Amino acid sequence: MVDGGGFAAPGVRLTEAQEGLWYAQRLDPGNPVFNTGHYLALRGVLDTDAFRDAVNGMVAEADSLAFRIGDGPAGVTQRPDTALRPWLEVVDLSAEADPLAAAQAAMARDMARPVDPARGPLAAERLYRLSATHHLWYHRAHHLVLDGFGTELLMRRAAALYAARVAGGDAGPPLAPFDAATAEDAAYRAAPRRARDAAFWRQALADAPDVTGIGQGVALTARSTHRAQAAIPAEDAAALRRFAAAHDLAWPDVMTALLGAYVRRLTGEAETLVGVTFMNRFGSAAARTPATLMNVLPLRIRFDEARPLQEGVEDVATQLAALRRHGRYRGEQIRRDLGRVGAGRRLHGPIVNIQPYHEVPTFPGLTAELHLLGTGPVDDITFDLRGDPTAHVLRLDVEANPNLHTAEATAAHATRAARFIAAALEAGGLAAVATATPQEAQHFVHAVNDTRHPVHDTTLARLIETAMAARPEAEALVFEGRSMSYGELDRRSAALASELAARGIGPDDLVAVALDRSFELIVALVGVLRAGAAYLPLDATHPADRIARIMAAAAPRLTLATAALPGGGAILPPADWPLDGQAPNGPAPGDAAYAIYTSGSTGEPKGAVIEHRAIVNRLEWMRAHYGIAAGDRILQKTPATFDVSVWEFFLPLIAGATLVVASPGAHRDPAAIARLIREQRVTTAHFVPSMLAAFLAHPDSAGLAMARVFCSGEALTTDLRDRFHDTMAAELHNLYGPTEAAVDVSYWDASRGDHSRPMPIGFPVWNTRLYVLDAELRPLPPGVTGELFIAGVQLARGYLGQPDLTERAFIPDPFHPGERMYRTGDLARFRPDGAILYLGRADGQVKLRGFRVELGEIEAAIASSSLAQQSRVIAREDRPGDKRLVAYVVPGPGYDAAALRAHVAARVPDHMVPSAFVTLAALPVNSSGKLDRSALPAPDLPQSEGRAPATETERRVAALFAETLDVPAVGAEDDFFALGGHSLLAVDLMLRVQEEFGRDPGLGALFEHPTVERLAALLDSTALPPTDDGLRPLIVLGRGAPDRPPLFVVHPAGGIAWCYGGLARALAPEVPVLGLQAPSLDAAVPPMESLEALAADYADRVLAAASAGPIHLAGWSVGGIIAQAMAVRLRDLGREVGVLALLDAYPAEVWRAAPEPDDAAIYGALLAIAGHDPAQHPELPMERGAVIDFLRRGGMPLGRLPEAALDGVVRVVEGNNRLVRGHHHRRFDGTLTHFRAARDHAGRDLSPAMWTSHAARVEVIDVPALHGEMMGDAATAVIAPALLLRL
Amino acid sequence: MAAEGMPPMTREQMRADLARLLRMAPEELEDDDDLIDLGLDSMRAMALLTRWSEQGVELDLAAVAEKVTLGAWWALAERALAVRGDG
Repeated sequence: MVDGGGFAAPGVRLTEAQEGLWYAQRLDPGNPVFNTGHYLALRGVLDTDAFRDAVNGMVAEADSLAFRIGDGPAGVTQRPDTALRPWLEVVDLSAEADPLAAAQAAMARDMARPVDPARGPLAAERLYRLSATHHLWYHRAHHLVLDGFGTELLMRRAAALYAARVAGGDAGPPLAPFDAATAEDAAYRAAPRRARDAAFWRQALADAPDVTGIGQGVALTARSTHRAQAAIPAEDAAALRRFAAAHDLAWPDVMTALLGAYVRRLTGEAETLVGVTFMNRFGSAAARTPATLMNVLPLRIRFDEARPLQEGVEDVATQLAALRRHGRYRGEQIRRDLGRVGAGRRLHGPIVNIQPYHEVPTFPGLTAELHLLGTGPVDDITFDLRGDPTAHVLRLDVEANPNLHTAEATAAHATRAARFIAAALEAGGLAAVATATPQEAQHFVHAVNDTRHPVHDTTLARLIETAMAARPEAEALVFEGRSMSYGELDRRSAALASELAARGIGPDDLVAVALDRSFELIVALVGVLRAGAAYLPLDATHPADRIARIMAAAAPRLTLATAALPGGGAILPPADWPLDGQAPNGPAPGDAAYAIYTSGSTGEPKGAVIEHRAIVNRLEWMRAHYGIAAGDRILQKTPATFDVSVWEFFLPLIAGATLVVASPGAHRDPAAIARLIREQRVTTAHFVPSMLAAFLAHPDSAGLAMARVFCSGEALTTDLRDRFHDTMAAELHNLYGPTEAAVDVSYWDASRGDHSRPMPIGFPVWNTRLYVLDAELRPLPPGVTGELFIAGVQLARGYLGQPDLTERAFIPDPFHPGERMYRTGDLARFRPDGAILYLGRADGQVKLRGFRVELGEIEAAIASSSLAQQSRVIAREDRPGDKRLVAYVVPGPGYDAAALRAHVAARVPDHMVPSAFVTLAALPVNSSGKLDRSALPAPDLPQSEGRAPATETERRVAALFAETLDVPAVGAEDDFFALGGHSLLAVDLMLRVQEEFGRDPGLGALFEHPTVERLAALLDSTALPPTDDGLRPLIVLGRGAPDRPPLFVVHPAGGIAWCYGGLARALAPEVPVLGLQAPSLDAAVPPMESLEALAADYADRVLAAASAGPIHLAGWSVGGIIAQAMAVRLRDLGREVGVLALLDAYPAEVWRAAPEPDDAAIYGALLAIAGHDPAQHPELPMERGAVIDFLRRGGMPLGRLPEAALDGVVRVVEGNNRLVRGHHHRRFDGTLTHFRAARDHAGRDLSPAMWTSHAARVEVIDVPALHGEMMGDAATAVIAPALLLRL
Repeated sequence: MAAEGMPPMTREQMRADLARLLRMAPEELEDDDDLIDLGLDSMRAMALLTRWSEQGVELDLAAVAEKVTLGAWWALAERALAVRGDG
């Protein structure tokens, strides 16, 4: 831990380049990803002695390899330690069965071992002898002391020394000393040039956009990287050289532009920023110093792809030239200057790293081949292009963070980027180059869409007639306890069809149908179809204005309704329908079957016209795919105006099955639906996901069994899928499709056993093609988001009476000349297996702090809770620059904002949790039935009181408080803890402070300076005290009046005393509060032998900090046991003990008989310390890795504690248990004040009276709380005043 | 090597190459002028090094980077030429 590597002698301070790496490694001490390494395979006869001398000669010159880097009173410093020099070790593996495999395994093990910079050694040099003519030279070094250029320096130096030794001649000058790097760093920190560089970067990036990540997930520093490689073929390298020469450009600049363009393609943005590496050696006295100097700087990729390629490269080359002039300024500092700190607010996306100086050095008599093993941490994805200066041999390596990219995706990026470069050079431009490779395009445009399947060219009317004729006696319809046979349906629909025909209504005429669910509704639909006309469903309850507009636009020949509709027209009520008649010939496959109006994003409804051939394909696919047969009973509950109803109506009627028609209005009533399903033995039903959520939340859905349930209309979440299978027994199928393509075009089997996450919308149905294309209609590879297009037989004819709109939405299919495709306006991407992931509406997305946020996803999360009837989420910007998500909710039964928020927070990433939940009686809608955004009230965000932040530092600190605590505004005098920050959130805050200010005052400082004002003053003070991680044995929890004797509070089982923060604040205006924490949180401190020894040690610490006068002690739980022992010890020493307060603690003997704590108990305690109830996580294995992983992934601040600290907590929990069992209390000769958790311990034999033999007097105060709540606000409100009276 | 048929590298040729790249007259370029101040960057330096290497003068990028003046570079070039001569 902090003092683990303290130095006796002062060393050299870290350079700016080292600081970020040091901090990252310290945050995650167990992470080996900071090891960089490679091996050179040397073939030929090696002179081992000469080689040893050469490498050792290099090692002797390279001081940084022998560094020890640690924290001391003077800050973080480094100095070489002779004992750590990595002299070459020779390992003979030639006797192994597979020497190469053995060597590779040994290297992999070594690379995987984390290195503590305070202990070292930071580097290793090893020669593996595989045979007389095959050796591997393995080199490893911590990234803190070596970058890529430095690594090549070492390799070349060793090669030069070897060559000089075996071939004679001059080995050249030695490596430059490390002082060169520190001198240069110090000079630059003080130079006016640094301020000029800062100004340059501010100006260069003033209008740069936020960066959108290309990977999916949260970029935690991973413990490994994925690595993939692609060679650049000789002809492509030649094309690069030709292009560079023709336009007088340097080839590395060309490559930077091309790889930048590739990255921008992945983001789908008009502009993105990539990081470019800058070696920072040119013109530097440290040019030949093995060290880390490399810098990563932002480069704007903004050029117009439609212009010739050289223009784009020129823009990049101009930026790069300026970047090189200002490249000494650290990228981390630019990020802080621009305030791009915190998750998602990155300075740049993927890194492009061109290494044109790359050359494997020559060893006389040997061939050498480089194999990379690690180049340091990768935040996102890095494209490394290594080449010789003449660009004859080029190689692309891609490294990716496994938290964001799969191994397969990493490999695909390597192949694809190489192909992209070649294609762009060949074409001299980017416009014609698809992001997908030709192979990917072939696969994802053609192979996965090869859905050809023969379907009889007929009409829906004919299919129904065939089924009706086949079994006239069979039950066709059931409605409210009555049934209708196929024969009856045949007779009545034929009669209606004949009446329509008699009125001259036939193919391509429209007949409006506005009837409630009933037999008549079905007769009407079938009758219209048999007449050869198309039906237009309308809902009389819709806004009159909307109906009138539709009636005017569609001009139906007749309306089948019980009463006239707004907009007029002739009506034929069911009462006037004939009961006998002969159906006419009916429609042809190319005639329209129905027209359904949907809401357009402009507010004007659009009527999609579907032809028979299209809907026949859809229904025949469904019948065959799901094996729908005469025995099925299919529920009809979807309103006819919604196209899902189309298959509900007609699938049973073409299959000879039974259509179970729900009562009007029943589709909103879970109990009625459940009853109908049970009573009518329904086999097949459809739910919109939000309705399914409400249905599953109703007790009547439990235990239902059906053959299959279909979902469509909204995104089906994995959470809902899992809840479905927990509640009822049926197959579950996720379907997707717009009204413009005959109901559904894709399917995914979400039945039990489907564990996909996220859930795809799946694969195309028969004779249907799905494309994911970019804005230029070029195919995209899997994993890249684009727009979804649909082609094939199911496409609508177009929009009724809106040719312009039709032409815009139905455009030529570039892959099938002469055919059309439909632009869905939905965002999607392919999985590698060809399944499609739906990502929401293209126009339903907002960007928030660099994240793409799909509002529908948040709404789906709200809907899945059943706490809200309806919700809409919008992004508001009530204060400029302060964009926030606000959820508007129509509360459901049992609504509770906190519960809803927790529900949402468990399902979407943090940045998608709305800042406010506003309840409304109803969502305001405008006349077209769409949400009226302007009528949504601004959320009533809590306002801070007191002085507003005044200085720049205060404003920045206040912003960090607000971000960490997720509150809208923070005043200068606001206390971090008083604002409700769980004390563990402090870890999170201080990480952000480090990121924002580049200085780390440590956690302990926050306890002492908890307000914006004070923390800002501390950060502004020139002499920042050494970092305090808040884990020291004695910490200040509350300041109090300096003349009052302090209260010392003793940590509970975990060894950390932060839990007393609330109590300390309650006492602080008057009494200072100091926390005792377990010294053995630091692994270097051996645990105590006994609780007596521990108490004596703590008593010494207390005496060192106490003033004259009585000593006050308090302790919760185990802390109480220790406090009593300390009191005894202090009396032994002749000191006066004032208050001895035990917060629901019971003497040691009680615990002696309890069972030994197992791992479950220890890790359960760790979870409890982090604020989780272990009982709520039965799925979590109670073992170290799983629990720590859980804490880290959950973003729990405790999980962000350095690994060593977590280890410390586990160790302390175990140790304290051992100490307590072995402890025998001695009698304290004063008053023991016991605060009893009065609501706890039911049925357990725990009582304050157990202390009577261990104290002269026991006083008991009841606190209405459970044991675990003793540190909460309610308990503190009782405990603090009682203590104040006694102190 | 590629030096066959090409005149050997001289200090004045190096001066001329640099001056052309920096858009100045060769006589204005002093041996101890800081070439970075005159507008040279690593990318253009690398291109020059590549050209000189084709003329048989192999200069190490790291050595060149350490001190960016014509005088320092010529000293490196002389040494490289001497090594070649020895070989």
